[in-house]
Amino acid sequence: MPYHEFKCSRCIPERKQHAVFKGKGETITDALPLGYLNTIPGSISERGCAYCGAKHVIGTPMKDVIHLSHGPIGCTYDTWQTKRYISDNDNFQIKYTFATDMKEKHIVFGAEKQLKQCIVEAFKACPHIKRMSIYQTCASALIGDDIEAIAQEVMDEMPDVDIFVCNSPGFGGPSQSGGHHKINIAWINQKVGTVEPDLLSDYVINYVGEYNIQGDQEVMIDFFNRMGVQVLATFTGNGRYDDLRAMHKAHLNVLECARSAEYICNELRKRYGTPRLDIDGFGFEPLGSSLRKVGLFFGIEDRAQAIIDEETARWKPELDWYKARLTGRKVCLWPGGSKLWHWAHVIHDEMGMDVVSVYTKFGHQGDMEKGISRCEEGALAIDDPNELEGLEAMETLTPDIIFTGKRPGEVAKKIRVPYLNAHAYHNGPWKGWEGWVRFARDIYNAVYSPIHRLALLDIGKDEIPTDKGFETQRMLSDADLPDEVRNDPVLREYTGKYNCLKDLRKKTYPPFERNVLAEAV
Amino acid sequence: MSCEVKEKERVGCINPIFTCQPCGAQFASIGIKECIGIVHGGQGCVMFVRLLISQHFKESFELASSSVHEDGAVFGACSRVEEAVDVLLMRYPDVKVVPIISTCSTEVIGDDIDGVVTKLYAELLPTKYPGREVHLIPIHTPSFVGSMITGYDLAVKEFVAHFAERTEPSDKINLITGWVNPGDVTHLKHLLAEMDVDATVLFEIESFDSPLMPSGNHVSHGDTTIADLRGTADAKGTIALNRYEGGKAARYLESEFGVPAVVGPSPIGIRNTDTFLHNLKVMTGKPIPESLVRERGIAIDALTDLVHMFLADKRVAIYGAPDLVIGLAEYCLDLEMRPKLLLLGDDNVNYVNDPRVRALQENVDYDMEIVTNADLWELGDRIQNRGLELDLILGHSKGRFIAIDNNIPMLRVGFPTYDRAGLYRHPVMGYAGAIWLAEQMANTLFADMEYKHNKEWVLNVW
Repeated sequence: MPYHEFKCSRCIPERKQHAVFKGKGETITDALPLGYLNTIPGSISERGCAYCGAKHVIGTPMKDVIHLSHGPIGCTYDTWQTKRYISDNDNFQIKYTFATDMKEKHIVFGAEKQLKQCIVEAFKACPHIKRMSIYQTCASALIGDDIEAIAQEVMDEMPDVDIFVCNSPGFGGPSQSGGHHKINIAWINQKVGTVEPDLLSDYVINYVGEYNIQGDQEVMIDFFNRMGVQVLATFTGNGRYDDLRAMHKAHLNVLECARSAEYICNELRKRYGTPRLDIDGFGFEPLGSSLRKVGLFFGIEDRAQAIIDEETARWKPELDWYKARLTGRKVCLWPGGSKLWHWAHVIHDEMGMDVVSVYTKFGHQGDMEKGISRCEEGALAIDDPNELEGLEAMETLTPDIIFTGKRPGEVAKKIRVPYLNAHAYHNGPWKGWEGWVRFARDIYNAVYSPIHRLALLDIGKDEIPTDKGFETQRMLSDADLPDEVRNDPVLREYTGKYNCLKDLRKKTYPPFERNVLAEAV
Repeated sequence: MSCEVKEKERVGCINPIFTCQPCGAQFASIGIKECIGIVHGGQGCVMFVRLLISQHFKESFELASSSVHEDGAVFGACSRVEEAVDVLLMRYPDVKVVPIISTCSTEVIGDDIDGVVTKLYAELLPTKYPGREVHLIPIHTPSFVGSMITGYDLAVKEFVAHFAERTEPSDKINLITGWVNPGDVTHLKHLLAEMDVDATVLFEIESFDSPLMPSGNHVSHGDTTIADLRGTADAKGTIALNRYEGGKAARYLESEFGVPAVVGPSPIGIRNTDTFLHNLKVMTGKPIPESLVRERGIAIDALTDLVHMFLADKRVAIYGAPDLVIGLAEYCLDLEMRPKLLLLGDDNVNYVNDPRVRALQENVDYDMEIVTNADLWELGDRIQNRGLELDLILGHSKGRFIAIDNNIPMLRVGFPTYDRAGLYRHPVMGYAGAIWLAEQMANTLFADMEYKHNKEWVLNVW
């Protein structure tokens, strides 16, 4: 078993089983780190808390909802304006956040009265919003306020509002993942089945585990609309609260981020018999086969194929332009959870990059299984990495780029490794065919940044090259390219717009088809 | 025509101005060299604060968590602190200072962090780390008390109280800056140097603006040393620039060691900088040199170009840290502007008795509101529903959508200012800060005039 022992972690031997090199010819049966175990205190892990997993990752992307945290202000403030889950209703969920502002007297005497007042106040402040999610925090969990009872009381008094309660205090579980689980289960227990939707199509899905980062969801909805597939609800990016109450009526649950949202799909299958179909929205081939699978389920593969053909013809020359220039570049793929397997193989297959390391902050062993089986031989897989291990790994593996979060990206910067924001993206959306080209362009611009080259020069010691007044990305990327690639008449750089959502939001679609006969049955 | 001070009427908070106490303690701790704080609570209390600080500075700072999980919350989590200290000391051999920063969860369950520290001093440190200088400092910052501002104030006092030690009287003074940016510290140190005053600056955070070096091994951290903190008791006096961010430490040094304290005013604007230099002069006996007379003259010259032509009567709303908000309001008045609304984002009962607030109440000759325990809804609601007309907003980035959605120009100032590049590099304090603020306010107004085609031709002949 090729466990990897970091020098910096020799003094905490239990860490050894959390890092594995994928050796030659080895499979996940040989190489699988431990995962989703309690964090080692003081290790400077990158993990967050279960409140954040519930509220910030899954709850808040819902767009027509007052998101109220029951606790001191910090939890609310800290999970506000740190992500890019946009919506088509002017980003209400990004702009407004609500806290009960729990103080010492509430800790002593309870804060249920305060909570009720805050709920009423919030609805009064935002009269156009009639839906609310309340999130428990460490403080309100420990003092034992009965949030559900208060929410019910308000709903009884204000019949036009509906309130969801998520009890997921920060300390619940080793990482944010505990919160993903709790909010999935809370939603299906409390809300699914309480609204009966209008089914407009013969093909109705829920799109689950999609958070509309920089517009990903809207890109995917476009494909589903073009296939004549009605997306009843998105869990939860750009999603509407009442649509999500009607999830039980879909014919199929199409699951994107299995790490954060497989629980609700599994429950929907158990309780309502709705099948679960896992897909990948990233990359030409995975996205194409995902749409094909959805098509196959409904017997409309031809519609999926038409989209695949059109989009591939439009965007493949642009992807390949970047692939020619990114081939052989080394990447540390260090996201939170699911992107380690969403991206591990496809950035190799479609952009030619070598994944030298994968890690996950809050993933489980199942995520590592998928990620390791998809990534290159020789890659280092790390579970729950910490600051020193990340530095050591980057120094040994010498990646050309790292995909990680904002703050770890700053650590990478200091050791001169360019980073892309794996959670919030640089210039997304990154889903869809065009999105994947945008991702490739972001990688290209990072890897071939003239400033990053200048960062390597030590003017105190090195010979200073004085022959150039500038360099372009192209001068750096094309220096060693064969002429036939450099001058390939088919390949071209990205030609889309800075904001590719503007036109998308204006698009109209023909009405869905509804088989009247089938309805009668 | 009056200036009214009132508390926010709603009980809840919509769009908070501050985060909670542990953030303030963490911000103070990163200013100290060879210091890594351990936050005793859930992991989000650290992860998000590190993110917030990195959003502001575009740098990463080291802070650890005791990673309290469910079992700890039920059965007590003191053992997590013990393990965290050990793991941290093993892996970071240079670390000497480890504040143990409590949070709401660990205060509610009643974890005795003082007891843990005593135990670690008695057992772990002498047995496993003999001869190593390690300081464990419990800092109680329950999130349900005060705000990040009180957390900072408290932490500065705890650090000073832990280290300060009376030996020989020194010629130095203590300068406690409050929660400022590296650009402020650089400029304050310049003023001290011009005055020929030797000062211990708490905290030395110029290095927060850290380089990307060809050696590729730089970690951002502050530069205040244990010796700096220890020597605070020997100083001939303390000037705490911000009443609510460092005032507590200044008063502690005065009561405990007889080090005279001058608390405030924040040297924002010409007048308050003059007062700061006056206080330096009185405390040290050093004269104000010609170079600063000239520097002040440059600032006055710059302001004269702007005030009555452009800034006069412009209506401003200001929110953020209390000393900053009050200092900016005072400066705006000197610039002939009209601060209409000041939002102070926590329930500190001392604001109403702040002499600066009182002076506003006594002297402002138009309608001004000062709201305590405020949130950002107080601002948005007044603009959208209660007829508040503004020409400019001054505040941090969390309020950006109020400016964007209401088409009101805004100058980012304070913490955090993540939606503008490099603001931490520029001072708001001192004469340099006075110039920067006035010129940035003017330029912000100018750009807005152009976008809105609102007398943009005025600038043709300026």
